[in-house]
Amino acid sequence: MKKIDLELTVGLFIIAGILCLGYLSIKLGKMEVWGGKGYDLYALFSEVGGLKSGASVEIAGVEIGRVKNITLEHYQARVVIDLSENVRIQEDAIASIKTKGLIGERYIEITPGGSEKIMGPGDRIRETQPAVNLEELISKFVFGKI
Amino acid sequence: MNVSNLVKGMLVLFSVLGITASALGGAPTDKIRQTTDKILSILADPSLKNPSKVEERRRLIRKAVDERFNWEEMARRSLARHWVPRTDEERREFVRLFADLLERTYMSKVEGYSGEKVLYEGEKADGEYATVNVKIVTKKNVDIPVVYRLKKGGDDWLVYDISIEGVSLVNNYRTQFNSIITQSSYENLIKKLKEKGAQK
Repeated sequence: MKKIDLELTVGLFIIAGILCLGYLSIKLGKMEVWGGKGYDLYALFSEVGGLKSGASVEIAGVEIGRVKNITLEHYQARVVIDLSENVRIQEDAIASIKTKGLIGERYIEITPGGSEKIMGPGDRIRETQPAVNLEELISKFVFGKI
Repeated sequence: MNVSNLVKGMLVLFSVLGITASALGGAPTDKIRQTTDKILSILADPSLKNPSKVEERRRLIRKAVDERFNWEEMARRSLARHWVPRTDEERREFVRLFADLLERTYMSKVEGYSGEKVLYEGEKADGEYATVNVKIVTKKNVDIPVVYRLKKGGDDWLVYDISIEGVSLVNNYRTQFNSIITQSSYENLIKKLKEKGAQK
């Protein structure tokens, strides 16, 4: 009887430990396990320049969602973003790819529009601004003059 | 015999219709090309080269641009969420000030045209929206990619945004107007725009 109690306690501790680990990894990895309560929008960019899935989506510097996935569509980047449900994005909002600092990571900044039409799940952000490629700009000035 | 003639006639008619339809496919590009050519011909017109004709030439350029640009849409998009609480009268005033601001900013650039090549690199239409890609090649052989964004208005295509090197004009003004309005007020923005206009 005593032996079973001991094994039971150890087992419970281990289960509790595993649950804590799971919780930690989800929190640290900033993943959504239960599908989240948000909704998806997508946008087409001519150039995403190193944007990764999981990168943040911001309005006025405040994170409102994350990049869900990036695929190629007709030689353009199709970026799906997952936004939290309480954020309303107008139909004429502009999504632009920005860099944190001079050489930092890429993220998406949305400048809200003034349209009365609010976008729903699966809609497309029509107005986009691609990543500015510093290298390309520099090479234009270096090699441009023939 | 009659029936086959009829069929032939129908075929000819349909093929003609088909051709015109495909020719109409490039409407947004054609519109941009028309306006660009018009402005270039105004700039090249020797009778308008005289310094005393500067105002006349500016007026003609402005008129050509007015025909192609949807100032209201552009101003609305630039003011974004601050557009909603404005009264009709404020909106009209803002559209006028905004168009003048762009004229002041870009007229000298247009007048400084010196034989840069304009290449049309295709378009994408999606319902009532379209984008036209244009490449401007300077004399130093530097390519400047320009993207016109157009919206259908009746039979016409009107520009509501321009991106140069991937930087959108509307987005640029949207951020600037937003920071001025949130830091002070809409009235202050109007004051600033008017002051800039008076400086000229």
